[in-house]
Amino acid sequence: MNVIIGLINGMISSATPLLLSALGGSLTFYAGIFNIAMEGMMLSGAFFAVLGSYFLHSWVAGIICGILGALLMALIFILFSIVLKVDEFVTGVGLNMFSLGLTTYLLRQIFSVKGAFTNPGIVSVPRIHLPFLESIPFLGKIISGQNLIVWLALIATIVCNFVVFRTQFGLRLRAAGYNRTCLDTSGVSSNRIQAISLIICAVLCGLAGSFLSLGYVTLFSENMSAGRGWISLAAVILVSGKPLGIALVSLIFGLADGLGLYLQASLPSQFTAMLPYVATLIALFFYSMKSINTKVEI
Amino acid sequence: MRNFIINLAGILIAFLLGAIVMLFQHYNPVETYGALFGYSLENMYSFMTVLKNAVPLVLTGLSASVAFASGPVNLGQPGQLLIGALFATIGGLYVDLPAPLMIPFLILLSMLGGAIWSGLAGLMKQFFNMDEYITTLMLNMIADLLTFWAISFPLFEKKANHPQTPRIFRSGWMPKIGDFNTSVIVMLLAFAVVWFIFYRTVSGYEWRISGKNSLFARLGGVQIEKNYMRVMLLTGALAGLSGGLIIMAGPHRFIKGLGANYAWDGIMVSMVANNAIVGTLLYGIFFSILQTGSLGMELVTQVPSELVTVLQAVIVLVVVASRGYFDMILKQILTRRKMKERTS
Amino acid sequence: MSELIEIRNLVKIFPPNVIALNDVSVYFHEGEIHALIGENGAGKSTLMKILYGMQPADSGQILINGKTVQFANPGEAIAARIGMVHQEILLINEYTVWENVVLGMEPVGLFHRIDRDKARQQVRTKIDEFQFNLDPDARVADLSVAARQKVEILKLLFRNVSILILDEPTAVLTPQEIPQLFDELRRLRDDGHTILFISHHLDEVIELSDRITVLRKGQKVATIDTKDVTEKMLAEMMVGREVIFDKIKDGIPPGVAVLDCQNISLRSPITNKMLLQNISFQVHASEIVGIAGVEGNGQLELVEVMMGLRAADQGSLKINGSDLSGSSILERRKFMAFVSQDRSRMGACLTASIKENVIMTHHKLNSAFTKSAGFILDFAHAASFAEQIRKTFDVQLNSIEDEMRSLSGGNQQKVILGRELSLDAPFVLLDQPTRGLDVGSIEYVHHQIIQMSHDNRAILLISADLEELFRITDRILVLHRGEIVADLVTDDTNITEVGYLMLEGADHA
Repeated sequence: MNVIIGLINGMISSATPLLLSALGGSLTFYAGIFNIAMEGMMLSGAFFAVLGSYFLHSWVAGIICGILGALLMALIFILFSIVLKVDEFVTGVGLNMFSLGLTTYLLRQIFSVKGAFTNPGIVSVPRIHLPFLESIPFLGKIISGQNLIVWLALIATIVCNFVVFRTQFGLRLRAAGYNRTCLDTSGVSSNRIQAISLIICAVLCGLAGSFLSLGYVTLFSENMSAGRGWISLAAVILVSGKPLGIALVSLIFGLADGLGLYLQASLPSQFTAMLPYVATLIALFFYSMKSINTKVEI
Repeated sequence: MRNFIINLAGILIAFLLGAIVMLFQHYNPVETYGALFGYSLENMYSFMTVLKNAVPLVLTGLSASVAFASGPVNLGQPGQLLIGALFATIGGLYVDLPAPLMIPFLILLSMLGGAIWSGLAGLMKQFFNMDEYITTLMLNMIADLLTFWAISFPLFEKKANHPQTPRIFRSGWMPKIGDFNTSVIVMLLAFAVVWFIFYRTVSGYEWRISGKNSLFARLGGVQIEKNYMRVMLLTGALAGLSGGLIIMAGPHRFIKGLGANYAWDGIMVSMVANNAIVGTLLYGIFFSILQTGSLGMELVTQVPSELVTVLQAVIVLVVVASRGYFDMILKQILTRRKMKERTS
Repeated sequence: MSELIEIRNLVKIFPPNVIALNDVSVYFHEGEIHALIGENGAGKSTLMKILYGMQPADSGQILINGKTVQFANPGEAIAARIGMVHQEILLINEYTVWENVVLGMEPVGLFHRIDRDKARQQVRTKIDEFQFNLDPDARVADLSVAARQKVEILKLLFRNVSILILDEPTAVLTPQEIPQLFDELRRLRDDGHTILFISHHLDEVIELSDRITVLRKGQKVATIDTKDVTEKMLAEMMVGREVIFDKIKDGIPPGVAVLDCQNISLRSPITNKMLLQNISFQVHASEIVGIAGVEGNGQLELVEVMMGLRAADQGSLKINGSDLSGSSILERRKFMAFVSQDRSRMGACLTASIKENVIMTHHKLNSAFTKSAGFILDFAHAASFAEQIRKTFDVQLNSIEDEMRSLSGGNQQKVILGRELSLDAPFVLLDQPTRGLDVGSIEYVHHQIIQMSHDNRAILLISADLEELFRITDRILVLHRGEIVADLVTDDTNITEVGYLMLEGADHA
């Protein structure tokens, strides 16, 4: 029983950053942006979250700084891709490198360390204990004690689903992706909608980064996003952006990750760590086989 | 000429931005840049180091340029590099031939390794229609973990502190002529072959046209699938070769984190060079100057060498942006000229 | 009537050397239907796009009710009550009619949630007001082209637009759908709307408009009252010379059957709808067979199946007796020349050089183009071949090393025709080969097609332009919902009959 609870909790904490950044990616996906910069946004978010938490002695400040760090990346994306019309893919790759370079550079400049910065002064984001629910057998141990950001991710999923499919902004957002000229001639600037989608994406990726460095663990290490941005991009593509689908896919990837930890006893850790990536390939396989049957040439 | 000016302008703007950052942190930009270029260009030895360090940059850059210009979005250079390096290492550990045979053997082995890894992605596309830009990325992660495992367990050098393999047989080391490492010759050869294939052969013609307009090429009778696979294999082999040469020229063993520095550099080089083959060579060497010089910069001015990573990213973004911007300005100038013509 | 819009000395330049508008001045009155006519490239669309804020002018002024205006984007134009319906319909196919109409001015409730009931009600009111006969909940993707056009107009009326610009609205309609559109436009005019109407169909212009402005090569020729002109006068003003559109196909007797299609069927894997149904026909040597049909009735799918881009579910395709049904594109290309309607995607690679464009396919089929056992390209041969095409087909170009996109549309098409006709294939597939070309180029292409038939080739011409079909074909097949509903000898039928078959199919004829 404890094994299963552990597995589920492992799944939830692995899924949370994926879910948050994939939700961000889903908004830019609907807005018609080929956004591969989630990786960089998340990394920057993780670094600045540690920075804020350490110097301002507060996890709230940490999260705010994490979001601001990711927003910085979004602003650069907007500048190059929307204002200067640089190819989105080039912008994304450049930005990811920029984020990697910047965080490593600042890690040395500010904390004078190479590799990783860990310090008792970093205040981590608290877990939410629900005393009344804790006593429920099985479920109580899952519902209670989750990190605050886990709950935020859950709320974000519901809000995203509502915003995309029910609100004025959602109608315009999807219109930007389907046919931006149509949106422009309807009197709504598609550039503006795309910029807003990038900003929201950055907020979510900032949260994801904060979870990595202040929730999952309490430290910052070089390149700590470790390809999660790419996996979340895959998740977005697999479900064509649908927020509820993203939640499901993130949980599956999280499960693969959590399972890896349990298999470490019998398998070298390198192989168990491959599980999320293999899971992505398998998911892509089923997605592609489905689309191959309905594939129309051209 | 026009291209040269655009690139130069872009690089200068990027350096200017870097200088502003340095001023904020109370570093002297002139001194810092001086140390950067001084360290990589002050004498023959340092320039030879630059060339040697350029080998993986140029080769992964060529791999990305050929792939992007032909259509396949092969983002798998990091993984293909690692597998190529692993193959060369295994060959170098278990086979001992005389050097004239050993070096070509290891080179071919590393190319085979890279091609297998990219071919895997190619097959997934061909049979299951799985997009290569995701599969190659995932294969990168898997290659990273796979090689990490290989050097931690089966190939682990006993008594070592870090995961690493023993040294490969001496016959597999790339010979040095003075300070000149012969891996540079292999790189230049590979460059010449790629250039010839791309601009002179029927295959190269078909790749270039398919990259620009695949439907047109298809209707013209070009076998897109066959060409797709060839491009994937060639570009994988190039990335694999760069991995093999790293092993054979440098540490002569597989050390953890070997490919980390080159992860996205090849793709960045191809982007900033606009997928042009000669441009890739030049930018590969230029990025190597920056990377090699960054150590000198850190020694002399205490500016962390990681600044160069930031600088490279800024160069890519600014150069690509100025390319588009320059076209726009050119159009405006032409419009104004035409307006005058019209009224006169 | 007062002057509602005044356009003064407008200039627009497209670098490097196209002057799209050269000092154009024109007035539009309130409450009139004003037609803008001119050949392709005369500047009609550019003029309207500038008025609508889609493109900036390089110099000149626009005044509305005497006040200078300058719209940075269509949104500002709409706010000033000017709306435009484009040639390519700008709607979101995935959305419903009401979602498309309210986009940008959605009624919202709490949390910016769209008030669907209210939106639907508002749209329904507008539909009823203008008697448009649309279902607000229908998905645009499921609507006919004529209905989509109505949705676009409705969308503008919903924004209380009083000046309506329509860019070639009849181009996508069948002859039978046009009168209904005209009735609606007249009703809107009588309601006080001003309508600016772009066309190059003279009969339509004369039937519908109150005044006409003629543009030629970026300059205004004249603005005239419709009651004072005839079609012939307009045609001469448009072209600057006399034009005759007579039948030019001579009745040389057809030879043996070259192309033989039998029972070709294709089902959509997505919707399960039949896209092509039992298509059977033959084309003989020296014969030009036309395929008429409203766009989207299976023409694209037929081309894809014939070229081998898509496998048919059943049926066979033979040329000179060789069964090509399962053959690769390369194998087919030994027998088929192909000129596509889509120069930028199918017909050419615009960013490659002219030389690289002309050797496509030849490099596979003709060993003279390669050296070293087909491994290396012979660039010297490629260059002389390109020069030869330039001469034979009279292509206006600076250098064969220039990019294809530096050429005008007509010259691009000449290069493509040159490439395809040099293939010596017995069968030629032409998919709207004159689309987007000016009158002079159309004339040239038509004569090339006639020339091909003299060379004993079998020609299949797919076209949406009935005049073109009647001018140069021997037979006309009518394609309706993926079926061939009629096989007519061109001399024994007329435009009205074919138009009716295109729209209604065979059942109602």
